[in-house]
This record gives sequence, structure tokens and C-alpha cells, in this order.
Amino acid sequence: MALYNFKKIMVVPTAKEFIDITLSKTQRKTPTVVHKHYQIHRIRHFYMRKVKFTQQNYHDRLTQILTDFPKLDDIHPFYADLMNVLYDKDHYKLALGQINIAKNLIDNVAKDYVRLMKYGDSLYRCKQLKRAALGRMCTILKRQKSSLEYLEQVRQHLSRLPSIDPNTRTLLLCGYPNVGKSSFINKVTRADVDVQPYAFTTKSLFVGHMDYRYLRWQVVDTPGILDHPLEDRNTIEMQAITALAHLRAAVLYVMDLSEQCGHTLQEQLELFNNIRPLFANKPLIIVANKCDVKKISELTEENQKILADLTTEGIPVIETSTLTEEGVMQVKTEACDQLLAHRVNTKMKGKKVHDVLNRLHLAMPAKRDEKDRPPFIPDGALTRRRAMEVDAPKRKLERDLELELGDDYILDLQKYWDLMNEDEKQDRIPEVWEGHNIADYIDPDIMKKLEDLEKEEELKERAGEYDSDDESEDEDMLEIRSLAKQIREKKQLMVMESREKDVHGPRMPRTATRVERKKLEKEMSELGLDMSDKNDSHYAEQARRSRSVAKKRKRETSAPPTSKTRSQSASRPPRDQSGLRDAKMVKKAKKIMKNSQTDRNRDGRKGESDRHVYDLKPKHLLAGKRKSGKTDRR
Amino acid sequence: MRIEKCYFCSGPVYPGHGVMFVRNDCKTFRFCRSKCHRNFKKKRNPRKTRWTKAFRKASGKELTVDNALEFEKRRNIPVKYNRELWNKTVDAMMKVEKIKQKRQAQFIMNRPNSWKTKWCKDYKKTWKLGMKIIYLKSKCFVSLGKLQLLLFFFQLVCFNLEFDLAVKGQ
Repeated sequence: MALYNFKKIMVVPTAKEFIDITLSKTQRKTPTVVHKHYQIHRIRHFYMRKVKFTQQNYHDRLTQILTDFPKLDDIHPFYADLMNVLYDKDHYKLALGQINIAKNLIDNVAKDYVRLMKYGDSLYRCKQLKRAALGRMCTILKRQKSSLEYLEQVRQHLSRLPSIDPNTRTLLLCGYPNVGKSSFINKVTRADVDVQPYAFTTKSLFVGHMDYRYLRWQVVDTPGILDHPLEDRNTIEMQAITALAHLRAAVLYVMDLSEQCGHTLQEQLELFNNIRPLFANKPLIIVANKCDVKKISELTEENQKILADLTTEGIPVIETSTLTEEGVMQVKTEACDQLLAHRVNTKMKGKKVHDVLNRLHLAMPAKRDEKDRPPFIPDGALTRRRAMEVDAPKRKLERDLELELGDDYILDLQKYWDLMNEDEKQDRIPEVWEGHNIADYIDPDIMKKLEDLEKEEELKERAGEYDSDDESEDEDMLEIRSLAKQIREKKQLMVMESREKDVHGPRMPRTATRVERKKLEKEMSELGLDMSDKNDSHYAEQARRSRSVAKKRKRETSAPPTSKTRSQSASRPPRDQSGLRDAKMVKKAKKIMKNSQTDRNRDGRKGESDRHVYDLKPKHLLAGKRKSGKTDRR
Repeated sequence: MRIEKCYFCSGPVYPGHGVMFVRNDCKTFRFCRSKCHRNFKKKRNPRKTRWTKAFRKASGKELTVDNALEFEKRRNIPVKYNRELWNKTVDAMMKVEKIKQKRQAQFIMNRPNSWKTKWCKDYKKTWKLGMKIIYLKSKCFVSLGKLQLLLFFFQLVCFNLEFDLAVKGQ
């Protein structure tokens, strides 16, 4: 049985809108230009097209409306009845009928006028005919104004109906208003139905879904039913009655023991007996709600007797309180079990079952020996099962702790750790040491391995593997070794010193800076050389030759110099001679200079900075085939 | 938090450093710096790239098989936290590390063809080089002439003795 998707119905426009849309469409989508002097068939065709186009549009739109709206005979009787209750079957059918008639009328009008247009002999005539045709079609539609409005309202309401599947497992809640049906559905499912102290808070059917035994269950909440004969019932109550009548569900008749709903227990029992015929063939449970206020044991004797009678008839009476959640789970399980059993029974009685039954076979393993092998259920599963049934208080959750402590709450997941010693749970575990992961070393046998390793190490040491092989022990070698060590140390120190200098900028090589005489002498004396009488040495001579930069004298005390002052360039040694010790070196330097100049001279360059290219695209390299050599030389 | 190993150079990748590349076959490659990453993208074989640890191990320049190296390996089965085991492990780790370093250094020292270790062991060479430096420095005091050259050689000999004496005096 196809479940209509009531949300997919196209919007039904108002009459005025409908007309406007269609006419403007005609104007836009058909050619607009026609002249008197055109040939008559062309003029006729032009206007006929307009008429037909308009007719086609109306026709399409109206058929769409007719097909979208569900036919009451084609859908599930539950929905048919519900729609009847809500929208009045007759009115609905009439409205749709009117639309149908309008459609046919429009078709006829168009047909007639198209036929007439064949005899139109002038532009004016054809135009008038077209005007008349369009006018009539629009008038027909204007008359359907009320039907269209009604259908639009129906569509809006239909799309908001709760999606109740009439064939699946359903629990139906019924009873007087204000007994606690909506509270029950709120407790059992994720539905959020309004619960208020006044009667008829719930004005229509509500659906909630819940899971039980790995199956999906629908719970339908109905508006309350009052006790009067069927004819006097209003729409709201009728919805409840429809649901009761058509859905094959387990019925939960909710009663209010404390009579807070405003009706005595007698009245409720009266109602129960009145609608009893609706409960035929449905598993039934009586839910005695609001038991936190009044228990069954606190009722009067006769009332208790009545309830006891009901129980003996086979209708379980369960005390619940939606406030304290007492008994709610019990009701749920009871109802679900009963409904399942009922459904299975019905299916067994049906015809389709036998095909399946023939193929089903439960294989039981044959006993091998006398040993008893019961199914193993772990303890956790048992406790959970017990908790589900008895509705016991759940263990304290983190969320509860959080709410309790408020601002002081700190999430501490380490307290759930399963360690051998309980007091180690709050330890801060080290992870890394000097570039090694501690987790890579963790091994229960590590101490034993370490012992073995240490023994090995000891053996190795004893065997002399770690002794450094020093060849000879004579004095000279010792000397040399100690000296060498000192040299190495000094070298390292010098390197570290120079690194620490923190030079911002390019590091100048030692040769680029001038070495002062004092510094040189100091360094050498540190090394142990005698630097006392070095006035004749080369470096001292050079220093004397070059003139130090003259200090700026004060204006008052200065006298103009008498001798000719030498220029700056003369105070430095010329480049051919600076840094060269002796004639041999000078000669060598000159030779090197000449050597480096040969290549440049060959290229005809003026100097080392001459990079001028005389011919950027030399023809002999770029033109011609490759037969005469590669492109960098030809 | 773990310190991973770089795929290319086998160096440590600290958290917050480096790049991880995940291939389509779900194999992950971690790199400590862009140098390793770029080399990998160039499809270079770490076992043939001389500066990587993989090369050094594969070509026998470093200690590969040793008991001390077996302590640190990635374990797939986690052990539940136990304070005394952790304490013992940390102590053991430090000891093992010392022994490991000692053995690695010894291995390198014992390598037959390493010019570096040969240099380290050859004190005479260092001494000679040191002397040469001083000699060259001292050369810049005097201008060259044949006579002076002779003087120099004479000086060198006495100079060595001088130096020794000076050092001994220290």
C-alpha cells in the first residue's frame, strides 16, 4: 500500500493568481507581433496558438492538482478516515470535482473558439475571438475561487500531519483529557509534546518513536476523549477515535487514580466500557497513572475490586507515575511484548506464513555427552538486563558530578584507569628523556637484561677493549702527547671564542684586518717566544713606513703644517707590495697576476669588470643547420 | 607525545617540527627538515646519501649489532603503568645510554680506515702541525735572506727546545 507523501503536493494558487500567471505566460511565450497586412492564415494561426496555449496551461495545472491530492478511496482507511474527520469527505470530493469540471469546461471553450477562428476573415475578428476565448476561460476559473482556497488550506494541513505508519508496531495512548498521556509519550520517546494543566492541550495526534528489542516502535498520543455518544463528538475527539478504530496497535488506556484530571474514577471506568468495542482484537493494558499521589491500595474497596476484576479478565493493570518514572518501563515492556505476541499470532493464522515456515528450521546441536553446557552470559550483561527491567537508579554519571561540583569540576579521565595499584592513578608519567622515548624502553624484563649487559660490559673492560692503544711510553712520546693535547685544547678554545664573537655581518678574513704590532707581540709571547727586541723585524719596519692616520687637531692650538702632507694613499703600502715578504714572493705574485689576465686579454676585455657583449645574437651560432657543430661554437 | 625518527636522516623529529607525508598506500614518511624532505622528493636513496645515518649503518661505519642497542625498540603491545617498573626503566635507560655511547665511540675508534680516528690517535702529527703554525707565525718577524734562512733552521731546532722548556716551565 503506497503511503502518500503528503508533503509533495504542489502549491494550489488562488484564482486571481492562477489567472495572472497563465495570462502572463501566454503573453511571454507566444509570439506577440502581428499586422493587418499579414496573410489571413498567418493571422488565424497566431491567434489560435494563443488560445490553445492558454488552454494547455490551465489544463496542465488543473490536472496536476487533481493528481497530487490523494484520492480517499486509494489510501489507507486510517488516513481516509482522518481526512474525513479533519476536512470533511464530501467537501473535499466536491472541491476536487469542481476543479475537474472547470478543466473540462475550459477545454470545451478552447475547442469551440478554435473552430470559430477558422472562419475569422480579418485581424480584428480573430483578435476579438481570442479575447472572448481567453475571457471565458478566466471567468470559469474565477468561479472556482472558493474551491481553490479550500484545497490550499487542505494541502497546508495535510503536509503537517504526523507521519504515522499504519502497518508497523504501534502503541496507542487513550483516555480522558489531562490523565498523563502526553507525559507518558514524553518519557518513553524523544517526542516533545506540550503538557499543560488545562484539558485538551493535545489537539491532534502526535507520534514518537522508541526502540525496544532492536525494533522501532511508534507511540501515538491522542487528544483526550470525553464520554458522550459518537454523534456528539467534535473533530479533536474524532481524531482519537479514528486512530483507535483503524490502527492495529496495542492500546494503553490511561487512567488517573488521583482524579486530578477532573473526572472521577467511575466516569473513567464508564468511558472505558463505552469504548471497549473499539479495543476488540487489540492487546490492551490499563495504565493507572499518577500513582505518586494515590496508589491503588489507597483506593476504596469497590474500586479496587473493579480493577481486580479487570485484571482477572486478562487486562493487566499497571501503576505508573510519569513524574517519578515508576512503572513506565514496565508498561512499555508489557505492551510491546503483548503486541509482538499478537502480531505473531495473526501472521501465523494468515496464508503467507506457511511458505516461510516450511523453510525455517531451528537446528539444535545433538548432545555429545552428559555434560551440562548452559549459555554463558557475562555478569555485565546480566546487570544491565536487570537494570533495564527493574528501572533501577543508574550509576552516577560524569554529567551528574559536573552539575554537582559546578565551577570546581575538573575532568579527570585518569581516575578510570585500571591499574594494579590504585594510588598510582594520579601519577604524571614521563614520556621523553634526552631525545629518547621512555615507552621504547619499557619491558618487564628490563632489569635482568640490564644486569646481563653490565656483566658483559665488565668483561669487555677487563679484556681491555676500551684501553686506548698508546704505542710507546717513553718520555718523548709523553711530551708530544701532552703538547698535542694542549694544542688541540687551545685550538678548540680559539674556535669557540671566534664563534662567540657574534659578528653581525660578513666575517672578514684575518688577512683583511690589520694586525697591530702590540697584539702580535702579545700573542707570540703567550706562546712562549721571546719578543723583546724586535725593532728590526719586517713587520716593525713596515709599520714605521706606513703613516698612521693623522688625528684631527683642535683649531686653537693648531699651527699650519710646514711640510707637505702626504696623501692617504701613500700612507698605505701599495698593493703590489702589501702582504709580500720577499722578492721571490713578489715575483710569484706578479706571475699569478699575469696568468689571470691572459684569458681576459684573449677576449679583448678592458679589465675584470668588462662584461660587455658585442653581439647578443651572433648569426653564426643561431642560424643554419647543425651540421657545422654545436650552437656554442661553429 | 613521541619523538619520531626522520625517514631520511634518521634524526629525531620533535613535536611541532618537520613534515609528514602520507602516501596512497597509507605509508607515512616523517621528515625532520626540508633538507630531508627535498632529498626524498628527488627520489634519493637514504642508504646511498653519505650524510645519513642509514648510509653509515649500511656501510659499516657505525655500530649496528649490539646488545645495548636492543633496549630501545618500538613496542607494539603497551604495558600497563606501574610506578616501580617505570622508575626502574628510567634508571636502566640512563645506564644503558652510557654504555651504548661508550661502545659506539669505541667502534668508531677501532675502525681501520677512518682518517679522522687515525688523526685523533696520531699525537705526533698534531704536535708537528702545531709547531709548523708557530714556525710560520714566527717567520713573519724576520725578512728572508739566505743567511737568515740558515738562522731560521737553527732557530727552529733551538726553538723546539725552547718551546718545550717554556711549556715545562708552565
